[in-house]
Amino acid sequence: MQIAILSGKGGTGKTLLSVNLSYLAENGTYVDCDVEEPNGLLYYQLENKKTEEVSIKIPVVNHDLCNGCEKCTDFCKFNALAFILDKVRVFKDLCHSCGGCKLVCPTNAISEIDKTVGYIHSGKIFDTNIYSGEMIVGLESGIPIIDELLNQVKNSSRNVFIDSPPGNGCSVMESIRDSNYCLLIAEPTIFGLHNLNMVYNLVKVFNKKVGIVINKASENSIIEDYALENNVNIIGRIPMDLELGRINSEGKIVASYDEYKPLFTDILTNIYKELNL
Amino acid sequence: MIIALPTTTSGEKSFISEHFGRSNFFYIYNTETKTGEVYVNANKDGQGGVGVKSVEFILKHGTNILITPRVGEKAMNLLSETDVKIYTNTDEIVKENIASFLNGELKEL
Ligand code: SF4
Ligand code: SF4
Repeated sequence: MQIAILSGKGGTGKTLLSVNLSYLAENGTYVDCDVEEPNGLLYYQLENKKTEEVSIKIPVVNHDLCNGCEKCTDFCKFNALAFILDKVRVFKDLCHSCGGCKLVCPTNAISEIDKTVGYIHSGKIFDTNIYSGEMIVGLESGIPIIDELLNQVKNSSRNVFIDSPPGNGCSVMESIRDSNYCLLIAEPTIFGLHNLNMVYNLVKVFNKKVGIVINKASENSIIEDYALENNVNIIGRIPMDLELGRINSEGKIVASYDEYKPLFTDILTNIYKELNL
Repeated sequence: MIIALPTTTSGEKSFISEHFGRSNFFYIYNTETKTGEVYVNANKDGQGGVGVKSVEFILKHGTNILITPRVGEKAMNLLSETDVKIYTNTDEIVKENIASFLNGELKEL
């Protein structure tokens, strides 16, 4: 089973929720897809920690073989190739590794080399498997790393919790593509509602089962009203609680404290119910 | 000598574009024949690399002088490898800037 945890904006409790659910779930796996700002790992002192490189293919041009026909520069839709001063130049940051330029080159002047775009850290703690993607700062896209992360947990028989990137971009879509359930987390403020609405509209497109968790729940019923209107269930409320906030900010697992455990167990039970498990 | 300018509309009476990479057109002026040609900037809506493609374009047309308010970093690095000289415009109209350049009134970037 795969569950994606999403929010329209960073810092709304997405990591808190995913970390704690994966900790409590039997055979839980936590996957940090927020590759631009991975922080899930902060919670764990990993055992058997491993780090793998993720790389993509980038073209290199052999200028001796190149006849200057410019088929490659015309082909590249990403402006990653330009014919300047009688040479084809490759602008690596813009390349999407489609491999097309190599195919269209009539003289076989183009070959490919690996370019490292990020890392996947993995390990285990208690009974939970952990995967965390990290993108090299300054690169254009984290998609290759997210793809590799998802690839590693694909067909997993474990209960996989995906800490999605914030927002509603391509990388978010990647992270929910194979999920059985989408859990949206939002704070009960006008901004919170705005962000929730943004991700909800995205998830709707995918026709996935959805539930909402309210973080820093207060009397403000703005999220409840929204859920009712859109016929989505609220499956949990994390209260505004200074102690909880403190434990979490120290990088500890809130659900490992007796007084907070039921809060997250209930959310988990509700997800299972919604999925008829 | 060939002078290139990014422009918002076509022709010598056009405004100079604020963006070298994302201008709608390029005006390429030949000082020997005293004629100018208008070209559509085919790459202006690209996600990235538009500056680089503009450099490619003006080099193809044998440009010696580029008159533009600014140039992005990538494009600038490329241009610095070439013999193209960059001048900042003082007026908003293409024609006026070509005249000013020929009178030696524009400053090199
Ligand atoms: S691999 Fe694709 S994106 Fe990269 S330079 Fe070649 S054509 Fe462009
Ligand atoms: S397609 Fe091949 S031969 Fe043609 S310009 Fe590109 S690298 Fe050179």
